[in-house]
Amino acid sequence: MLKMTHISKVFRTDVVETHALRDFSLHVAEGEFVTVTGPSGCGKTTFLNIAGLLETASGGQYLLDGEDVSSLNDFQRARMRNQKIGFIFQSFNLMPDLNLFDNVDVPLRYRGVNAAERKVRVERALDAVGLLSRKKHLPAQLSGGQQQRVAIARALVGEPRFLLADEPTGNLDSNTAEGVMELLHEINNNGTTIIMVTHDVVLASRSARNIQILDGRIIDDRRAQPKAA
Amino acid sequence: MFFYYVRLALLSYRRNPVLSSLMVLAVAVGIGAYMVIFTMNYYMGGDPIPQKSEQLHHIQFDYGNPDIPNFEPPPQLTWLDATAMLEQTTAYPRTATSKFVAIIEPPGNEVRPFFVNGRGNSADFFSMFDVPFKYGSGWDRSADVNRDLVVVLSDELNERLFGGRDSTGETLVMHGMNFTVTGVMDRWQPAPKFYDVNNGSFDPVEEAYIPWELIISQELNRSGSTNCWQAPEGTGLQAFLNAECAWIQFWVELPDADARSDYSMLVDNYVAEQRSLGRMRMPVEQRLFNVNEWMIEQEVHPDETRILGALAGMLLAVCLLNTVGLLLSKFLGKAGEIGVRQALGAHRGSLFIQHLIEAGVIGAIGGVLGIGVAALGLEGIKVLIGSLMITEWMRLDLTVMALTIALAIVSTIIAGLYPIWRACNINPSVHLKSQ
Repeated sequence: MLKMTHISKVFRTDVVETHALRDFSLHVAEGEFVTVTGPSGCGKTTFLNIAGLLETASGGQYLLDGEDVSSLNDFQRARMRNQKIGFIFQSFNLMPDLNLFDNVDVPLRYRGVNAAERKVRVERALDAVGLLSRKKHLPAQLSGGQQQRVAIARALVGEPRFLLADEPTGNLDSNTAEGVMELLHEINNNGTTIIMVTHDVVLASRSARNIQILDGRIIDDRRAQPKAA
Repeated sequence: MFFYYVRLALLSYRRNPVLSSLMVLAVAVGIGAYMVIFTMNYYMGGDPIPQKSEQLHHIQFDYGNPDIPNFEPPPQLTWLDATAMLEQTTAYPRTATSKFVAIIEPPGNEVRPFFVNGRGNSADFFSMFDVPFKYGSGWDRSADVNRDLVVVLSDELNERLFGGRDSTGETLVMHGMNFTVTGVMDRWQPAPKFYDVNNGSFDPVEEAYIPWELIISQELNRSGSTNCWQAPEGTGLQAFLNAECAWIQFWVELPDADARSDYSMLVDNYVAEQRSLGRMRMPVEQRLFNVNEWMIEQEVHPDETRILGALAGMLLAVCLLNTVGLLLSKFLGKAGEIGVRQALGAHRGSLFIQHLIEAGVIGAIGGVLGIGVAALGLEGIKVLIGSLMITEWMRLDLTVMALTIALAIVSTIIAGLYPIWRACNINPSVHLKSQ
């Protein structure tokens, strides 16, 4: 589903050249839950941004659903993001002026879905995260955990095959984080592929596959042993 | 998506009300000031009689005197030439016209005698210039020939003398003579007052209209500009009439190019005849001017309004430059939201359109406020120059109001192009992490 081969990413300024990713190769199959760990500055977020088509790689090949994304223009990349990828951020990134319904509605607007269908799908997504009754509320009226649930609803409303989460529990207390993780596992169990960047090794250890990055390279790619029946 | 973007623009306004209001204010002041001057230019430079401006022609003779350096041909005609042109046998409507002042003695003792500004003109004047009538009509050509004591009143004078009732057939005493009212004009105020730009292009129209020949035959007091370049030989009225003194405007209605050519030939023949008598010694290029040509020739549009227009344009540019800065601040402040929208599937084109519409909404609100600024500005101008010229034509009609809003929207969108381009080219990943 996601296949990166010898991906590199170099950030250049007038005086310095930073290699964020080097010879980075990874294959993620459909339905996997992959956590990505590593120290700050190791390239986790750069990997996630390239995977989410928010940045382009400096070299290598990236196939998403079998399609080489390096040849896509801005419009095509945006369409692919909209249709195949959902994002969850550490700081939720909800739009403060829009109520919950309108926040969740955004991806469907860009997809050109008609109003009646949008209403059904947005309400279903909010219902799935237990916040339908608060659809008219503004994000500021919710707790951090609730805001992250809205962000998850927004990521899922377009039914993407692929969910990218960048430290989704980083701003939450442990109890709330636990609830969010349960929700993500539930989503994964329903077939959505998830790649989650995290600093939390305990959370990472609970995923079926954990990748460790250091200095822009994968230094460990460990799959959990299936539990004995 | 258009209405969605408009809604987002209004929400964005509410999020930064001070910054957004500053932009609206900058646009309103710039557009308002510009539209004040635009309105003045629009009306001053407008066609005062669009339905006939191509047909109505003013005659100008070059009374050039080679002995006088830089002699400018006067815009008016002498009595000799005006009379001669009236006597030419043509089918084309024509009028000689000039101003007079006279004392009117109202009936009874309730209203004291008062001065009126009047105009002597030929019978064709009213139909040529599409003068609207409330009651009655003008007079016919026989009244010109017979020098009948007939008068057409303005609506205001009729109100003053007869309480606004239909006064046709009634008499009034003017200059000590009994004039019969043939008609009462409806409200009429061409701007500029094209038929006589020599005596105040934006003055009010006259209050009483009588056959032109009566000014001389009844020795009424002429008023308006008189340009003499050769002293009268002798004294008295007849000496003045025979002198090279121009004080009469002369208009002829020529329905098409053939008529203009035909009448030009007539004028050329007249000039040739006069040159054989030792007059009009300078060669001329053009003697017939239609209304708009005449407005340009006589520089009716004051230079001051052009200078003011340039100044207002500069003020608008300064306001828009401020708006560029404010929009840059506003849109770059939305980098986080722009990044999120990109992550959720917005491409740069749709973000560009969203923010163009946001700039347009700011422009529209600024335009509406600009109408208020322009209205206030025009009222101020009226107070300043109201004693010098008639200013009732200075108003914001629907066309000007629509133009104000359209100009505000377009200007703000243009001002927003660079800030929008900058905002839409940010790297979304940077802002997604730091939001």
